[in-house]
Amino acid sequence: MTGLTENLDLLTPEFALAGLAFLVLAVDLFLPEDKKHLLAWLSVAGLSGLIVLAAVMLWGEDESLYDGLLAVDDYSLFFKIFFMGMGIFIILTSIDYVKQFLDHQGEFYALILFSILGMNVMAQSRELLTAYIALELLSFCLYVLVAYARKSPRSNEGSLKYIIIGAFSSAIMLYGISMIYSTLGVTRFDDISLALVGALEVSPALWVGIALLLVGLGFKISAVPFHAWAPDAYEGAPYPVTAYLAIGSKAAAFALLLRLVAEGFVPAIDRWDQWQLIISVLAGVTMVVGNLVALAQRNVKRLMAYSSIAHAGFILAGVAALTQDSQLASNGIMLYLVGYSVTNLVVFAALIAYFNISGKEMISDMGGLAEERPFLAACIAMGMFSLGGLPIFAGFAIKFYLFTAVAEAGFLWLAGLAIFSSLISLYYYLQVIRQMYIESAPQESPPESPATGELVGLEGIPRASLAASPSILLVSVLAIALAAVLWIGVYPSPLLDTIEAASRAILPGT
Amino acid sequence: MVSLFYFQLLSAGLFAIGLYGVLARRSAVLIVMSIELMLNAVNINLIAAASHLEGRGSFVRFDGQIIAIFIITIAAAEVGLALAIILRMYRNRSTVNVDEIDIMKW
Repeated sequence: MTGLTENLDLLTPEFALAGLAFLVLAVDLFLPEDKKHLLAWLSVAGLSGLIVLAAVMLWGEDESLYDGLLAVDDYSLFFKIFFMGMGIFIILTSIDYVKQFLDHQGEFYALILFSILGMNVMAQSRELLTAYIALELLSFCLYVLVAYARKSPRSNEGSLKYIIIGAFSSAIMLYGISMIYSTLGVTRFDDISLALVGALEVSPALWVGIALLLVGLGFKISAVPFHAWAPDAYEGAPYPVTAYLAIGSKAAAFALLLRLVAEGFVPAIDRWDQWQLIISVLAGVTMVVGNLVALAQRNVKRLMAYSSIAHAGFILAGVAALTQDSQLASNGIMLYLVGYSVTNLVVFAALIAYFNISGKEMISDMGGLAEERPFLAACIAMGMFSLGGLPIFAGFAIKFYLFTAVAEAGFLWLAGLAIFSSLISLYYYLQVIRQMYIESAPQESPPESPATGELVGLEGIPRASLAASPSILLVSVLAIALAAVLWIGVYPSPLLDTIEAASRAILPGT
Repeated sequence: MVSLFYFQLLSAGLFAIGLYGVLARRSAVLIVMSIELMLNAVNINLIAAASHLEGRGSFVRFDGQIIAIFIITIAAAEVGLALAIILRMYRNRSTVNVDEIDIMKW
């Protein structure tokens, strides 16, 4: 047991990240409007430095800080590096978009940095209040980022729905925390499992507490009865923020949920295993509903929102399958999060590149893309194949590993449902590919008159602010992310070694 | 000492009123107020529990109060943010009635 101020240096990456975010805010004040993109490069350089620092400093560390509130172990290190790496790529994909379509560029990058700080702390918190505060730091940044296109009514609407449902779900989660606290008198994950083991019976009040806590987290990961905010927030948000919602915030919420279940509930599984029932039912409903509703979508952002809901269902199935003596499920979850995020990065980087040159986001607008922009169309197609779970791509490897883990833990029906619903999902992913490769371009003859105020797309973007072709930057991000998707799909074992070390930190096993 | 049960009853009642408000109110501002009610229910629960759990250990337990203070602070920030977004909504659409905020559906 360490004291309050010992080992504070282990938090250097977090302190430095907060410092970096404030630095970006401060430098923003002194930069002229046309130099603001330098802030993005400052953030990227800072994040890269922090990744190296964290990897060198914290490798193999296994410490508990602030009397057990924060864990600095391989699990948190893995997620720290993952989040900061994803942050770098999100910032790189958003530079062009932010320059073309948004005001106040400096704060955009600062908010992304603050939200990464929140995600890092979420992955390493092992106490309910700490986890809640980190979650709110992340959510607050996301509320603002979703509303970032100030003049767009859709962005406002998405953000309003997001913040109201987000605050509502926080209140539910806090009520759950307060019930757990008032019955057990503890809030640390390991104390919760000890109290569960030692309790004579699991009282109804504790039941309510844990159920409400899971409901609150269900809102954050957009599990199905609580998913209503996700499509609207995804659709209304500026494109890079949509990508960030799908890639970053979801992974962070799962990092928290995984640690909570692995440290708080799994050790007491002999005594009380109903959490498995709650989570597995949520998982089944989420994957089926997410995939079925996605079939009807016409807007790409909304399609990706429902696709991300469906994937949340798959990952939840992994959470339900966590057991004490096998790390398969937790390995599978982490591999899934990495593979899913990288795949989403490919899809979104290509979609953002397409949006930057066209200002459009409907699937029907994408006809003929394969002829006009073969590279973008190929990237989107490969990303969609990977999301659908076809071999060679990451999507197959991660689904195979996770569903095997789910089946081995005894949830055969859940694994079967997952395979069935990912078959359904192929339909709408292939629908996008069909539109790009088989349909011809929509009959739209742009008026040749140099009408200065001509607006395109749902957002009503002036044609003048569109780019002529995808930038080198986006193309290189796409190339790197594609390479990563293929690498995870073909040869995931180096990544798996790291992941195994990470899951040993939360599930010591037998 | 008043038993913990009554505090929990009060807190549950307050939470239910807040929940009803969130579901039934049409104005975004009133929904935010109802969420505040729910958070206050949480605070009552926490503080009552903290003062009743005292007997279990040898020292006075602060953690319930501390959590309540954090919740109050975060709730204040949350309301600030929500009102800013509602204000933005009002500027763009001239309404804060959640029934009319329906550009995006399904």
